[in-house]
Amino acid sequence: MTDRLRALALADWFGLLVVVLVAGALLAFLQPAFLSTYNIYVLLLSFSLWVLVALAQMVIIAIGQMNLSVGAIGGLVAITFAGTMEVWGLPIPLAVLLGLVLAALCGLFNGVVTHVSGISAFIITLATLSIFKGINIGITEAQPFYAIPDAVKAFGAARLGGVPYMLVVPALAIVGVWLLFNRMVLGRQILAVGANRHAAELSGIRVGRVVVIAHVLSAVLAATAGMLAVARLQLGQPTIGDDWLILSFAAPVIGGAILAGGHVSVIGTCLGVVIVTLINNALVLLGIDPFFVQLLLGALILAAVMLNRWRERRREALA
Amino acid sequence: MGLALLIVVLVAIFATVNPGFASPFNLFSLTRVMGIDMVIGFSMMVVLVTGGLNLAVGSIGVAAVMVGGWAMQVQGVPVLPAMAMAVAFGAFLGWINGQLTVRIGVHSFIVTLATMSIFFGAMIVLTKAESFNALPGAFVDLGRLRYWGFVSGMLPAALIVGVGLWLFFNRTSLGREILAAGANLEAARLSGIRVERTIVVAHAMSGGLAALAGLMLAARNGAALPSMAGHIGMSWLLPAFLAPVLGGTLLTGGVISVVGTALGAAMVTIITNGLLQLQVGEFWVQMFLGLILLAAVLLDRLRGVMAERRRQVR
Amino acid sequence: MTAVLEVRGAEKSFPGVKALDGVDFVLRAGEIHALLGENGAGKSTLIKILTGIHEPDRGEVRVFGQAVHFANARAAIEAGISAVHQERNLIPRMSVAENIMLENLPQRLGFVDYAEVNRQALLWLERLGLEVAPERAVRTLSVAQMQLVEIAKALVLEAKILLMDEPTASITPHETDVLFGLLRQLRDQGAAIVFVSHKLEEVFALCDTVTVLRDGRNACHAVPLAEIDRAAVVKFMIGREERVAKLGTKPFDATATALRLEDVATSFGHAGVSLELRRGEILGLYGLVGAGRSELAKALLGVGHVTGGRVEVAGKEASIPDVTTALHRYRIGYISEDRKAEGLILIHDVASNIGVTIWRRLAGMLGWLAEGRVRRAVAPLVDKLQVRTPSLRQRVGNLSGGNQQKVSVAKWLAAEVDILIVDEPTVGIDIKTKTDLHELIWQLAKDGKAILLISSDMPEMVALADRILVMGGFRVLGEVLNDHDYGRMSRAIMAHIHEAEAA
Repeated sequence: MTDRLRALALADWFGLLVVVLVAGALLAFLQPAFLSTYNIYVLLLSFSLWVLVALAQMVIIAIGQMNLSVGAIGGLVAITFAGTMEVWGLPIPLAVLLGLVLAALCGLFNGVVTHVSGISAFIITLATLSIFKGINIGITEAQPFYAIPDAVKAFGAARLGGVPYMLVVPALAIVGVWLLFNRMVLGRQILAVGANRHAAELSGIRVGRVVVIAHVLSAVLAATAGMLAVARLQLGQPTIGDDWLILSFAAPVIGGAILAGGHVSVIGTCLGVVIVTLINNALVLLGIDPFFVQLLLGALILAAVMLNRWRERRREALA
Repeated sequence: MGLALLIVVLVAIFATVNPGFASPFNLFSLTRVMGIDMVIGFSMMVVLVTGGLNLAVGSIGVAAVMVGGWAMQVQGVPVLPAMAMAVAFGAFLGWINGQLTVRIGVHSFIVTLATMSIFFGAMIVLTKAESFNALPGAFVDLGRLRYWGFVSGMLPAALIVGVGLWLFFNRTSLGREILAAGANLEAARLSGIRVERTIVVAHAMSGGLAALAGLMLAARNGAALPSMAGHIGMSWLLPAFLAPVLGGTLLTGGVISVVGTALGAAMVTIITNGLLQLQVGEFWVQMFLGLILLAAVLLDRLRGVMAERRRQVR
Repeated sequence: MTAVLEVRGAEKSFPGVKALDGVDFVLRAGEIHALLGENGAGKSTLIKILTGIHEPDRGEVRVFGQAVHFANARAAIEAGISAVHQERNLIPRMSVAENIMLENLPQRLGFVDYAEVNRQALLWLERLGLEVAPERAVRTLSVAQMQLVEIAKALVLEAKILLMDEPTASITPHETDVLFGLLRQLRDQGAAIVFVSHKLEEVFALCDTVTVLRDGRNACHAVPLAEIDRAAVVKFMIGREERVAKLGTKPFDATATALRLEDVATSFGHAGVSLELRRGEILGLYGLVGAGRSELAKALLGVGHVTGGRVEVAGKEASIPDVTTALHRYRIGYISEDRKAEGLILIHDVASNIGVTIWRRLAGMLGWLAEGRVRRAVAPLVDKLQVRTPSLRQRVGNLSGGNQQKVSVAKWLAAEVDILIVDEPTVGIDIKTKTDLHELIWQLAKDGKAILLISSDMPEMVALADRILVMGGFRVLGEVLNDHDYGRMSRAIMAHIHEAEAA
């Protein structure tokens, strides 16, 4: 039993959990409104969206790459989802399906081009970021789609006490991604490729296939976030996804992910999102300049990479 | 050089399709943007050479300009010292990037991702998102500088910076050491080069150049605007990468082409300007630039593969 | 016995090298077949073709009588070939068991069945005598334990064809004995095993048949080991009798100490290392992979650091925080064993690669570096070492391995170092250039440089060194005074290694 406890304490996310609990308690103490049903609803709403964004990036970090186009894919799918319902009058399920298919194609493109060309995913996704975002702006001319079906709006606003209905989607995603990385062959292969591509290849893993699947998965998660954003904002805003980049890296890195690949933590990433959400909320509740979020987010990333490096070095020293 | 030829062809096409393209007014505004894009490209180029990158170019550019604007407008510092202050501040922010990269020992991607957010956030908090739009006339006049009736002063300024960079990387020991460390860090270290220093220097240079690009942009706008590089400086990223990558600077480090970067920036500006002149609609330009970047890296890769194949056959 | 694996006329070229030039190879069920050859003879290329990493340019590969074309490693595994590769191929953060089972993770209802993973892995760990919990993360293991996990990973596939490329490089003689017992057992059950090793004693102890490659061709093909002796095998390998090159006499001043270590400990884990290197002397450091030789060199250079004891350069106590200081103040140079990763800048030209150590010295005001000055400093060295290059502006990546190595030597000659640490100078270099390099190193010592030679190539060591220090486990195990008699020297060196293990 003590072994179990020790293993728990050594897990990437244990320290984060403590931080979250302390910060939560502190906030509740400083500002009683923190625990109000409405505030919890607001918190969970941001969490729902951001955790999908973070998972979308985490999947790519796992293979040792990065995906700058997460936000652009989310935005493109968001306006496609809203636009097809408004302009073509597509039924909601079909619009959702179309959005997911479009995202899968975007991810497929990222993955195939990266793998076949052997060029770093950074530069490829920088290019596709511009392409996807460019298509988005080209189509919408930077104007939102306003006529969103009531059912979508209702879903975006519905809540049970402090719990938004929307939370169901990220909850399923979290469980799914956790199972993928901890219990499924595909997820283990993704991690193997990220940790040591050559070794994975020699172990008979189809590296190309794994890389492409990871990109598709990332795009689909980003698309889900994009569509939830439409439901939440109650309109198809072309700027959806513009500010996801920093967050998408911050949460996984805070959660202990190694950027070189091969190691990510789903629970850690979720807690990373919780921390970011709490900071955001605290600034609002305590009436501090909201632009501080930007600053703190950057500082958090730095602190997290430093901590991860330090932990790594200490482990090496102990071994 | 293929790129130069391509530029000539593009100019010819745009000039015949749309006479307005070759008008002195359009050429003036074209060369003005060209100069700015070149310096933005140089700013990224000097870090790409180390095998790293600097996502914070836009944030640094804006932050430095706000310092310059504050010095000129609020403190009444004369134009040249104020510009020097801005460049020095940019170099300082770049130095911070370099130090963090070296000290933490992670890729500059994540460091500059963090600092782009930090620098921009701090800048917004301190300026309260307000711009300096009563800059001294002498500064604003720099943006109106015009030679032979159609060349903006920005272009020669950028070219002078380019010559300086070329000499630095080809004819000084520090420049060569940066290249060596960028090509193969361990080999350079084992050859007695202080590789950490080369990385810090490159980042500081990148920051200084970003500040310079920011100043040029501010002179053009006639104001120091917190929004001039977009959200957290993101809108500089595409031109910053396009110019060096089109010009043949390797992302993996160690190979630089100053001339190529200048030509790359020129081409991007010409295409953007030409498309706008053709009424393609400003909304589609970004997509075209993305496609160009993709095509450029893929072509470059293809060329490398072909060269490799030829060598094997021999 | 039937041939399970047949290679006919295999050819493979890489830029600048013809690695295989018409190689034949036949492997039969129930035999352990030694594949031998010097570095660069083509063994690794052949192994890589058989495991699907490279495709041959020409020639035929048949497995169980069927012609095969492996597009990737997976295809080779599916065809029934499993391999222990020379380089480390483990996923550090995953458990021992998962690494072993990675090719084929057992599943239940779509999920990985970790109980089963551990159970199956444990069987092979036990057979190999490796007492490590299957759940343990690979990154916490020692080098030898990792090597055994690597072997288990190959065995678990229960392939009929097993390729083992230097499986014993980093494990102890005891672990080797257990492994050999297991391999014999597998052979008797009908498996066909290819065994690649540098250690001839192991080959004669274990193998039934031998094929030797030399310069990308067969020096001999499937000869029963019972029919030939060691001398014959060596002759196949090097194309002549095992004869240590005579390099003449080289007197040196026994009193002029260039480098002295006294009871040195380092951040890499060395303890109690003492040695003395004199001007004009070549001091050899011999040891198995993982003995800590290159690390000792790096600690001296300031890449790691010295944590205890005393380092003296030219009689004065020295503290070396980084390579720049090592080079400019103490005049120590290091030719890395890993030319591509640590020695040269392949994408830069010859002039830059040689000049890199002296740019600072050549630069004028504000660091101004005139092209002519660099050329004038570099060109004489290119001539002196007979580097074959079309011009000084040629990319080093386009030169042959031997010429690349000459460039990395030239770099240190340019720097005018007094102490030169040479790490595995002739790995992957053809025989002709190898001789050149040996003469060059020897000549450098004769000219008064102090040379610390790190090598796993016993004939090279015996030919060049004046004294040989045997290292193991980051310590000095013993010293052998070299009389250039190969048989006697190799026995003396191995004795030190065995002794250390017995203790």
